[in-house]
Amino acid sequence: MRRPWDLSERALAFFFLVPAFLLLSLVAVYPAAHLFLTSFRELHLALGTQGAFVGLANYRQLLEDARFWNALRVTLEIVLVTVPGATLFGLALALMANLPYGIKWPVRLGLLLPWAMPLVFAGLIFRWFFESDFGIVNDVLRRLGQGPLFWLTDPILAFWAVALSIVWKTSSFVALVLLAGLQSIPREYYEAARVDGAGALQIFWRITLPLLKPALLVALIFRTLTALQTFDIPYAMTGGGPGHATETLAMFIRTQSVENLNLGYGSAAAMTLFALSMAVTSLYLRHLQATEGE
Amino acid sequence: MVTRVWLLVLAFLASVAFAQQVRLKVFIGGQQRPDVMRRILDVYEQRNPGIRVEIEVGGATSDQQQQYLTTVLTSRDPSLDVILIDIIRPAQYRAAGWSETLDRYLPSATRDQLLRRYLPAYVQANIVDGALVALPAFADAQFLYYRKDLLDKYGFKPPVTWDEAIRQAQIILQGERDPNLNGIGFMGNISEGTVCTFLLPIWAMGADVTDEKGRLSLTEEQARRSLQFWLDLMDRHRVSPPNMAEKAQDTIRREMQQGRWIFATLFAYAWNHFQNDPDSRVKDKIGVAVMPRFEGGRSASCLGGWQWTISNFSRNKAQAYQLLRYLSSPEVAKVLALEASNLPAFPELYRDPDILRLNPWFRDALPVVMSARARPVHPRYPEIADAMRRGLNAVLARTRTPEQAAREILQGLRTIYGQ
Repeated sequence: MRRPWDLSERALAFFFLVPAFLLLSLVAVYPAAHLFLTSFRELHLALGTQGAFVGLANYRQLLEDARFWNALRVTLEIVLVTVPGATLFGLALALMANLPYGIKWPVRLGLLLPWAMPLVFAGLIFRWFFESDFGIVNDVLRRLGQGPLFWLTDPILAFWAVALSIVWKTSSFVALVLLAGLQSIPREYYEAARVDGAGALQIFWRITLPLLKPALLVALIFRTLTALQTFDIPYAMTGGGPGHATETLAMFIRTQSVENLNLGYGSAAAMTLFALSMAVTSLYLRHLQATEGE
Repeated sequence: MVTRVWLLVLAFLASVAFAQQVRLKVFIGGQQRPDVMRRILDVYEQRNPGIRVEIEVGGATSDQQQQYLTTVLTSRDPSLDVILIDIIRPAQYRAAGWSETLDRYLPSATRDQLLRRYLPAYVQANIVDGALVALPAFADAQFLYYRKDLLDKYGFKPPVTWDEAIRQAQIILQGERDPNLNGIGFMGNISEGTVCTFLLPIWAMGADVTDEKGRLSLTEEQARRSLQFWLDLMDRHRVSPPNMAEKAQDTIRREMQQGRWIFATLFAYAWNHFQNDPDSRVKDKIGVAVMPRFEGGRSASCLGGWQWTISNFSRNKAQAYQLLRYLSSPEVAKVLALEASNLPAFPELYRDPDILRLNPWFRDALPVVMSARARPVHPRYPEIADAMRRGLNAVLARTRTPEQAAREILQGLRTIYGQ
């Protein structure tokens, strides 16, 4: 018998979703909406402005700001270098950690270490590695008879030093995701392939890689998003220097809002980063849906 | 039974006393000797039984502290009462409405009388648009630290001009043949100190960022000459190593402590480290001199120093004001001079025999502090500083020529000053 306080299945589902919805609104939707509104205001604390509505003025100023374009370029370069870098390196690590021999244990342990380390620690450690007078990298170079290189004060070297540190720090995350993917591939496929006389390379291309694709996509989405938001490592290593050579979009946003107290302008810059992240995510998701539909 | 009643009464009285006790929180930076500050506040607590003062210690540099304070103050958090701020910040605090105006507690006659006791530069720095924003904790300025032992060995007197300093460094470097020894150290990384580095040659040529009316007066040519001067120390005179764009003030201080520099331009705090740090290899080997002059110019030093201000969001402003007056008194300035080698903001303390016994170089420091120049006073100072330090940093890293960087710095300044 149906009692009056019994809810329909649909209503019950709605009821269960309400807490999650409220929580998300509070911690994600509300701040994002607030940021969106602030980006249309002139809110410069150091000037004591009252937050008047100025329409697109902040965005127009962004378009003319060479420093913003430079930060955007640096950010995209970091995405282009560190996402493929971390993916390839992470894939190699995952394959090693998935080997059926004893080597997998040291690799698995080693995987956790960089993953568990806070980003800014990694940045500080690598700053000391690349320090020109006392750094370990220049020490090795000196022992090889090469002159010291000024890693963190040469714009090109500084970029590569930062990129290398990011790859080191983030490939373990990629590897952990891929390792989970690798372990979900049934052993029988490999056995069948070996019975049919397939070589190791053939097995990798025909079985491992296609079946790893969903895990690879998940890893790529997260890696690209974190690469777009790169902040800690260049902040700790170079402070965005020399000049502006390694200043990313996230660092630009921080400087505008926290240091210069120009909250309206900083919010507009943050909105562009938000839009960029959304665009990348939807691109990946569409691709994921398309492959699932096959 | 009677005891129980008494106990209840006692508990009640204790809770009343507890409720009447005011807790104040003072914010200082990690480099500002929290240990010494604690002892100073202990004395204050003893004299004012109703007051408890806690210290909150922030990051180790001016920039790091301000980052945290910005978060606290923009959210109108009442947890801080008295805050120690860098000399470059009063204008920003006033514009953002973060500081309680001290005039509220000081009738103008008393105010003028009080302010006459301090070094004029600090009075000027703490009055913004006619309002008294803060009172000085201690003074600071840049000095030329030099290796007394090395200069003596080659028969040199402390250099009076930069040309002399360069020549002495070249000769000593040639004579010592020590690959770990460097000539002239200055700040070149992206930090607040690098702003001073950029401004020194400009002040020394008699110029400044703004005129008396606060209008931008710096020219591209003046900026270029300053940038060129520092670049020349590396490339032309070869007295500074090629990686000066990496060097922060404390990096140079630590390296000088290891005996790796002949000269360095540093603020007053370095002295205490050289003399007292257990790992110092230069104890009693360091001399402190007035910053050198430029040929045909004058000697210029960058004015530093720290100020006490009351948070506008404090819930105990009256008590905070009393504490601030104590912290900015000659009594505390003397303790800071004795225990932390902080330069006093009171001229008479530079003749105090106790202070001079521990810091003999304070004898010559007063004229330096008196003539030190202030960085631009402007609510958008952080943006001004960023343009200058990134410009110099890019030149030292050779990603910009002095011409390019001078143009960019001036472009940035013109936008900020609206000219």
